[in-house]
Amino acid sequence: MSTVSRRRTRGIGVFMALLGLVTALGFGLASGSAARSSLTFNPVDLSASAPLHLGTLTLPTAIANLVLGLAMAALGVELLVRVPRRGVMARFGAVALLFFLALLLWAVRTTGPAPINFVNVTAVLVGASALTMVLIFGSLSGVLCERAGVVNIAIEGQFIGGAFIGSMVASTTHDFFFAAVAGGAVGGLLGLVLAFLSLRYLSDQIIVGVVLVTLLSGLSSYLNLQVLTPFPQYNTGNLAPNLPIPLLTKIPVLGPVLFDQSGFFYLMIVLVAAVSYGLFQTRWGLRVRAVGEHPQAAATVGIKVIGVRYANVILGGVVAGLGGVAFMATQGQFQPGYTSGLGYIALAALIFGRWRPSGAVVASIVFGLSLYLSYNLQTFQVPVSTEVLGMVPYLITIAVVSGLIGRVRPPAADGVPYQRD
Amino acid sequence: MSESRRRWWHRLTTRSPLLVTLDALILGFVVGALVIITTTASVLDAWRAMFSSWAAFAHACQLTADVVGAAYRAMFTGAVVNPRIFWHAVTTGQGWTLALTPLSETLTYAAPLIIASIGVGIAFQTGIFNIGANGQAILGGVAGAYMGSLVHLPTVVHLPLTLAAGIAGGVIVGLVPGLLKAYTGAHEVIVTLMLNYVVAALLIFTLLSTVLQQPGQQNDISRTLAPSAQLAPLFGAASGLRVNWGLAVAALVVVFAWWFLERSSLGFDFRVTGANPQAARASGINARAVIVLVFVISGGLAGLAGIVQLAGTTHYLDGGFLIGNAGIGFTAITVSLLGRNRPVGIVWSSLLFAGLGVGGRAMQAATGIPLDLATVIQSAVVLFVATPVLVQEIFRLRHAAAAGEVRLATSGWGS
Repeated sequence: MSTVSRRRTRGIGVFMALLGLVTALGFGLASGSAARSSLTFNPVDLSASAPLHLGTLTLPTAIANLVLGLAMAALGVELLVRVPRRGVMARFGAVALLFFLALLLWAVRTTGPAPINFVNVTAVLVGASALTMVLIFGSLSGVLCERAGVVNIAIEGQFIGGAFIGSMVASTTHDFFFAAVAGGAVGGLLGLVLAFLSLRYLSDQIIVGVVLVTLLSGLSSYLNLQVLTPFPQYNTGNLAPNLPIPLLTKIPVLGPVLFDQSGFFYLMIVLVAAVSYGLFQTRWGLRVRAVGEHPQAAATVGIKVIGVRYANVILGGVVAGLGGVAFMATQGQFQPGYTSGLGYIALAALIFGRWRPSGAVVASIVFGLSLYLSYNLQTFQVPVSTEVLGMVPYLITIAVVSGLIGRVRPPAADGVPYQRD
Repeated sequence: MSESRRRWWHRLTTRSPLLVTLDALILGFVVGALVIITTTASVLDAWRAMFSSWAAFAHACQLTADVVGAAYRAMFTGAVVNPRIFWHAVTTGQGWTLALTPLSETLTYAAPLIIASIGVGIAFQTGIFNIGANGQAILGGVAGAYMGSLVHLPTVVHLPLTLAAGIAGGVIVGLVPGLLKAYTGAHEVIVTLMLNYVVAALLIFTLLSTVLQQPGQQNDISRTLAPSAQLAPLFGAASGLRVNWGLAVAALVVVFAWWFLERSSLGFDFRVTGANPQAARASGINARAVIVLVFVISGGLAGLAGIVQLAGTTHYLDGGFLIGNAGIGFTAITVSLLGRNRPVGIVWSSLLFAGLGVGGRAMQAATGIPLDLATVIQSAVVLFVATPVLVQEIFRLRHAAAAGEVRLATSGWGS
């Protein structure tokens, strides 16, 4: 194990321990002995597939948050002392979830006899799962491209393209299958443009990516005014229906979050599994990683470097395009600029997840939750302005990309053009 | 005679940086025309009928030319000059304000764009991609607004202080990615991108919840800058032309940037670092100091662009300050690339992109074609400029013996 990753693990440990202490003191002890917080677990809309009913859980805020904070700190100390090889991201994800829980418990604390405010755990997780899903699509796209050595900073543009086309096709055909096909195709086309310019013409990948995002945001708001506004029937904004899985939806909390979702969510899970398996267990994955780490060596053993890169960048584009359709399918009507930088946050999740699908998933869950909470904490009457809360996910991203992960090691040939001699 | 003609032809068909740029411009406008054609219902209907008769085919061709021509004509007359109005002014001596307004608007928009783009360009030349110029410019505007609206001093002191506050605001935002990159290795692209969102939220926060908000207002709108902190119109308030002393500030920045990059030793260190980081380290250049200083200069210039926009053009802040189509910090990236990151090139590309933005608005008013077409054209142009070999193949240009390659700035995530 390299010293770099040992240092990184220790850094995460310190951060987690400190976060735990802050939680125990700030959200725990400081909230007083009289405060109580209530949690509920039943989904907001009680459809036919509703899970088993659970009662309201009322806890003393100070003690609950003290316990949560100390548990977080303990996990941090464990990382510091043992410096394990595996499961660092999983521990970080667990600590982040505990932190959000403590934050919510603190936000809804009441001292009166009857609880007025409560946290609906299921509703929070369901709400956050929509954003998390989109981030996972985006960061998987990044994994596919960057493991093969091409930086795809155009994920945001592929989201925009996928969402735009997805909305048009879903509005005209009323079928999200066609919307997904069209959105994936647009994403793949943008991937092809990125691959063509950066592989054939050796353009700077980051610059091409950024300009593609500009192009797509300009084009989408142009088309929005020129096409969607005069023909509103192309942008009706219907949402993808949920496909509940029988029986499994009955599980409290997990049922509605994992098994009562749209087809895009299940597709995302399949993709995560396929990409993690493919990348680390198959010949294809070995080739892709070889191309991303040392293209010259890969070429000498007969791997077609450029071909692998083309395939992966186009595939990555398709995945990001699907992410755009998935976003549109959960948010409704296309509006210019409504992806609000999710593609860039997906990129940060990819980097924080150290270019691994599993790491990217954990990072996406953390980012998805923090985005959702920052959009919605107002409903819990937290005495902080919306604007300040709105900065939080971006500040977390900065903290995570700089302080926490420090000098991560990307695939060695990531972003470096490959030229045959 | 024929010898010189042949030399001209040779020059026009051999790849050179200038020719690639001009050809990229042509391609950008072709892309724009294609976008107009494929999204205008009347044109599409005309083409659908093209097989019915020769007349229908001719009509389709003519309609296409009319629609595209009208759009680009409106863009030109809105951004540069309307020959009819200009001729009227020349012959009668009346209506000069109207005749010069398009040019004045373009220059008004170009001044902060030049400043911000030079900031981005200096970073590019050092191998650093500052996508955060917009956030830096916004905070420059906010800091300048505090100084310009809450302090009262004579112009001689107040205006320089306001501009300095703007620079300081940009430097503060720029220092974050600079220090993080220098000391933790955090990639500046992600950090600056995220800071843009942070600063955009901060802008709304200051407009709604601090003393900067216009008294008696509930909306996100700031106090107006004191007249002593404003950049006055270049030809006096009576001229009716908005072009202001911000243009002079931009000119000073251009001179400074040229001197800095070409003549100063720090600028030399910057360029060496950008061209070959290993060589720079080997020759004893302090890489950390260079990274931090690049962001100080780049952020400071972006902040200056923000305060020039505020003090010269808008005079107050609102929630739309440098947001969306007005985001000069984002346009600055493409402007800088088009100008090959050099001060003089940036002046030309700023004028062009400012013209496209101003003309786009005129086009929207005259023809109903959305002004976002300007963004599409700009992005397409820069994509082509970033890919000179593609332009060379499309126009079948000859390889020059030593064609000046665009030195591109970044190379992946590595430090």
